[in-house]
Amino acid sequence: MSHHCHACHKHERTFWSRRDFLMQSGGGIAGLALAHLLDREGLLAAEPQSCNEPFPGALGPRPPHFQPRATAVISLFMSGGVSHVDTFDPKPALTRYAGEPLHGKVDGNIAVRQGLPGPLMPSPFSFQRYGESGIEVSELFPNLAQHVDEMAFMRSVFGRSNDHIQATYEMQSGQIRMGFPSVGSWVTYGLGAQSSSLPAFVVMTDHRGGPLGGPNDWSAGFMPATYQGTRFRSSGDPIVDLEPPEGMTAEAQRARLDVLAKLNEKDMEKYPGNSEFAARISSYELAYRMQGCAPEAIDTSSESQLTQRLYGLDNEITEPFGRQCLMARRLIERGVRFVQLFHGGAGNQNTDTWDAHSDLVENHSLHAKESDLPIAGLLTDLKARGLLDSTLIVWHGEFGRMPISQRGVGRDHNPGAMTAWMAGAGIRGGQVIGSTDEFGYKAMEQPISAHDLHATMLHLLGIDHERLTYRFSGRDMRLTDVAGTLIPQIVG
Amino acid sequence: MRSLPTSVGLIPAVLLAVMIVMTTGAEAQSPAAFTNDIRPIMERSCWDCHGERMRRSGLDLRTREAALRGGSLGAAIVPGRAEESLLYRMVAGLEEPIMPRDGDPLTVAEVAAVRAWIDEGAHWDDGPTAFVDNPSDVLAESELPPGAKDYWAFKLPVQGPVPVFADFEHPIDRFLEQTRRANGVTAAPRADRSTLLRRAHLDLTGLPPTQEQTAAFLADPDPGAWERLIDQLLDSPHYGERWGRHWLDVARYADSDGFEQDVDRPNAWRYRDYVIDAFNQDKPFDEFIIEQVAGDELDETTHETLIATGFLRAGPRVNFREKDNPERRYEYLDDVIATLGRGILGLTVQCARCHFHKFDPIPQTDYYRLMASIYGYVETEVPLVPPVEAEAYQRRITEIDNQQRTLRDQVAEIEDPYRERLRLERLERDFPPDVLRAVLKPETERTPGEQLLAAQVLSLGVPRAQLTAALTADELSRRKALIDRIAEVGEQRPEKPPMAEIVTDGDYRFTPDGAGDNIIGCPECRVPPDVQGSFLHEGPGRYEVPPSHLLIRGDPFRPGPEMSPGFISVATYGDPPTVIPRSDGRTSGRRLALAQWLASAENPLPSRVMMNRIWHHHFGRGIVATLDNFGTVGDKPTHPELLDWLAVEFVNQGWSMKQMHRLIMTSDAYQMASAYEDADNLASDLENHYLWRYRTRRLEAEALRDLIMATSGGIDLTVGGPPVFPNVPKEILDSRLFGRWDVHPDGPDVWRRSVYVYRMRSIVFPFFETFDLPDQGVTAAARNVSTVPTQALTLLNNPFVVGQAELFAQRVQQAAPNDVSGQIDLIYRIALTRLPTEEEAAIARELVDARSLVDLAHVMFNLNEFLYLR
Repeated sequence: MSHHCHACHKHERTFWSRRDFLMQSGGGIAGLALAHLLDREGLLAAEPQSCNEPFPGALGPRPPHFQPRATAVISLFMSGGVSHVDTFDPKPALTRYAGEPLHGKVDGNIAVRQGLPGPLMPSPFSFQRYGESGIEVSELFPNLAQHVDEMAFMRSVFGRSNDHIQATYEMQSGQIRMGFPSVGSWVTYGLGAQSSSLPAFVVMTDHRGGPLGGPNDWSAGFMPATYQGTRFRSSGDPIVDLEPPEGMTAEAQRARLDVLAKLNEKDMEKYPGNSEFAARISSYELAYRMQGCAPEAIDTSSESQLTQRLYGLDNEITEPFGRQCLMARRLIERGVRFVQLFHGGAGNQNTDTWDAHSDLVENHSLHAKESDLPIAGLLTDLKARGLLDSTLIVWHGEFGRMPISQRGVGRDHNPGAMTAWMAGAGIRGGQVIGSTDEFGYKAMEQPISAHDLHATMLHLLGIDHERLTYRFSGRDMRLTDVAGTLIPQIVG
Repeated sequence: MRSLPTSVGLIPAVLLAVMIVMTTGAEAQSPAAFTNDIRPIMERSCWDCHGERMRRSGLDLRTREAALRGGSLGAAIVPGRAEESLLYRMVAGLEEPIMPRDGDPLTVAEVAAVRAWIDEGAHWDDGPTAFVDNPSDVLAESELPPGAKDYWAFKLPVQGPVPVFADFEHPIDRFLEQTRRANGVTAAPRADRSTLLRRAHLDLTGLPPTQEQTAAFLADPDPGAWERLIDQLLDSPHYGERWGRHWLDVARYADSDGFEQDVDRPNAWRYRDYVIDAFNQDKPFDEFIIEQVAGDELDETTHETLIATGFLRAGPRVNFREKDNPERRYEYLDDVIATLGRGILGLTVQCARCHFHKFDPIPQTDYYRLMASIYGYVETEVPLVPPVEAEAYQRRITEIDNQQRTLRDQVAEIEDPYRERLRLERLERDFPPDVLRAVLKPETERTPGEQLLAAQVLSLGVPRAQLTAALTADELSRRKALIDRIAEVGEQRPEKPPMAEIVTDGDYRFTPDGAGDNIIGCPECRVPPDVQGSFLHEGPGRYEVPPSHLLIRGDPFRPGPEMSPGFISVATYGDPPTVIPRSDGRTSGRRLALAQWLASAENPLPSRVMMNRIWHHHFGRGIVATLDNFGTVGDKPTHPELLDWLAVEFVNQGWSMKQMHRLIMTSDAYQMASAYEDADNLASDLENHYLWRYRTRRLEAEALRDLIMATSGGIDLTVGGPPVFPNVPKEILDSRLFGRWDVHPDGPDVWRRSVYVYRMRSIVFPFFETFDLPDQGVTAAARNVSTVPTQALTLLNNPFVVGQAELFAQRVQQAAPNDVSGQIDLIYRIALTRLPTEEEAAIARELVDARSLVDLAHVMFNLNEFLYLR
């Protein structure tokens, strides 16, 4: 017996049922033995009916440590470094002291990434108060600003490196070195998968390529590949090698899979207790299901005109990121645990990412315009569908930018301070947490590290960051290393 | 000691108590008991009711303090006295209410662990880190705790007597049998000969046996055939490719720097080839280590020993003004220390960077003495030609550079008057008015802020086209003549000789600009060091290592006292020299001393650690499962006496790795069947810790790709040379900003063995990534083995794999034209080193008749039997 997947899918693929798989392909004693083994390993259960249903043999859900506030995460990573003083952290002092050196007003040397430090530069963007909370947002985010009462702004986030890649690794894994699992991997490791037809941790990158740091950004580090992020493309087949290559029909693939199953099953007679072999046999079923379910999951054509407009799909500037935001919603609806969208690509670093060294106005105006409406649309849509409370939205870059100018037109990297915000997951919106100094140069009140952010994110998902450990190199490793403090205003 | 879970079930409390007494006597307590043994129990069985969510009976078991304070029934723990501790009494069933109230009771081993832990003082070893801020306190902490050297891995290995068992002759088998008997398991029978043939080939060379090799071996009934096979395989150049690759994991080898710019390392491959050659030549392991750590400091250096030092610099580098960013320099030093520690010593020395090691007796001072031993190292290039030739090349290059510089100065003389004006025009056009205003003001009248602005735009360039447009006809022709002349001079530039990327002593603060240093174009932004010096030692006098300091809390900006070179105290015996002065005075001799200690038989670790790695690759699991951690939180050896016996044997046989392969592979254990099930064995040792059957294991990413190409016949078995760039999907290449990946279509010229595939740190070759390639940023432990649907998708749909299946089918068709059953037989013989059974042949035949031979060839690449060494 087999079941039709969503009719929207181009191949209208049939599920490969367990019974087909085990019995049609030879059946007999060996089939029974395999069935018994799969059953013992918990790999055999009821037949799944659709892409949304759990599928035995997949990663499977794992219980959280305590009652979670959210079951899924959408992480919006603004690659290149967003200027906090031009977006969510207004600094009147920059106008007051415009053109004066920062040196002498703050402790220590002013270290910039490129060249020499310039004088203090006011924001070219105006700020306005929004919502009941009256939180100030710059003119760059007119749509997002309508949601301030749902958002918790953390103005005192800081990092340790002014190098894009090191800083990105830190925001992703807590470490400035490569080789450590990303937060999405930890969440997948801790909670497993709700869906088995789709990867638990999906990454979508900017249509211009990138992001800075590459696939290491969503690597599972020292954990098995099971927990690494899977990159979804926003057009064509979502996953590399998802579909047979040109010249190989779906029918050919099916014929090969059937024979593979039969021969592997014969082989199991020699290894009746080998659960790794059984799991690999099962992984082919999963792969087959993924072929049907993944394209459907990101197919936005079935969404209403209204929804498409909500995400800005009708406008060429907002369309690329809007489509990804919409896909993100569809993915978490289908049980994906952690969706991470990178906004900011490769190519010309100055114009294609938030890295506004040479023209702050042009750079930030463009990137804000590309992402403002889509993110606002995502918040609206999730709320309307009752998904916002069970979904954690996190927004940040890898560092903030300097309050001083770079050649009068840009701003250099500033790991000393940045703004991040969270929404959903039942978090109290309309609040500002922490602050930077008068100039936005360094985090001042309640400094928040990547470890603190991660500890808080895990907590919202029902995970105690001190108890989620993975043994590597003889040590019980943690996402938060030996640090991490919950942000009380978020978890309270 | 991590023991296998044995459910307590319904064992009466009295009997339980007896068992506990027996168990505790045998088990030594390790300081890591909490993290390893107790914490998991607490997580599972205690903290749900006595933790964050609730505190039944007022008891909180999350911290030592809270447990000592106890709840309404009193203190949960009396340190040192388990019998008086409620926690122990209740989990052991000695007192009501028996704990835990919900869930499974603790196993015998767990109860024993709780008892031992409390008796030893109930230490919570993951409390807040104790940083020491006062330098003199750090120095005072350099004393080892009493008894530190009594830990098994810190004692020098000795060969104990080999146990005697009539059924077993080989010493390895006798040791194994002793443990098997103690644990109630019996050894599997010998595997059949074609399985053994395939196992030996894949294990030693990573390539399947050819048709001829298979026929020859199966036709040779002589009992010496197996030994001869092993010798043949060890003589093959492909042995070094396979086993060298294992070492390259330890060396965190890659062909690019990593991080943002991910700069190409055009000559890194010479180190990779050095490793392959070293294995092929059976270079003694001690020599191998010494060359890699101090190949530039030997009495007699060769190109080979210089290339070997590539080991030290194989890690990732930010490659952005290291000399201005001391924190990066310390990251690199840490990378080297971590690699030496985990890779050669099996110790996480890097954990002592900021504080006394939490689990092992490694004081912070050991870390910084080790750092002082390598502190002088710098990364440089040397030409691989005779010195006379190299000097001639350098002279010629300097001449040409000078000539060109003179010419360029003349070009600048023509351009500069215009350049200044054009720069101002650009400032006026592209920048806000305050920038121009600042620049136009006389320097003395600028406000402090204007000075900053003006300085920032100093290095602003002018587009060449604008300059050209501004010049007069005369100037243009004069300039053209000069530019032509520059090009002419440039043509005389001799071809760069082959270079090696090496490490030697110097002063990193004077590193010449390299890739990534000049990218921002602001040479004047550099802060020069406040001392005199040079990058490499230029004389006169002897080279001096720049002072290296202990860093308080590991902070590069908080230097403590200056450190002298030294080693890991707990693993040091006798009084080995920490400096071996070099007669030429060009290097310090500190690394040579370190290298000799690292490769010494008087060091308890290196022989054990390497022997364990060899064992791991032969058996799929080390005697110590944590290959890179022999410390107290590493796994305990399953066969400690055997490991020590082997480590001593390794040294006695001149650190010969090939001898160790022979030794291991001639044991019965290596030749056991993997397809063997035995209910009693499974009940006693489900995980096969005691090696009662051979372990099946999935081939690593590289071996799998090689096997596919070898099976299809498409593989190019050329040994050594520059890396190759197999096809990578365009969207993956497009995602990078910098770095090198030469675009090649899929084809025979890139079907080289995987050890030759370019290792780019920012983009991992997708096939490898899918099959668990370890991170290339740090020295790797054992590889992960995951089973995920994306692996199935790759083997089903990846165009390379499908293409290889087509090639395989073609090859078979040509060999047995018009003979379908002959083709099916051949496919099996090539892909699996055996003939199909009748049943298999029938299934295959059905597929080939209904579809094609390609379909069957492709199925072969996906079979469990194909993917696993067994």
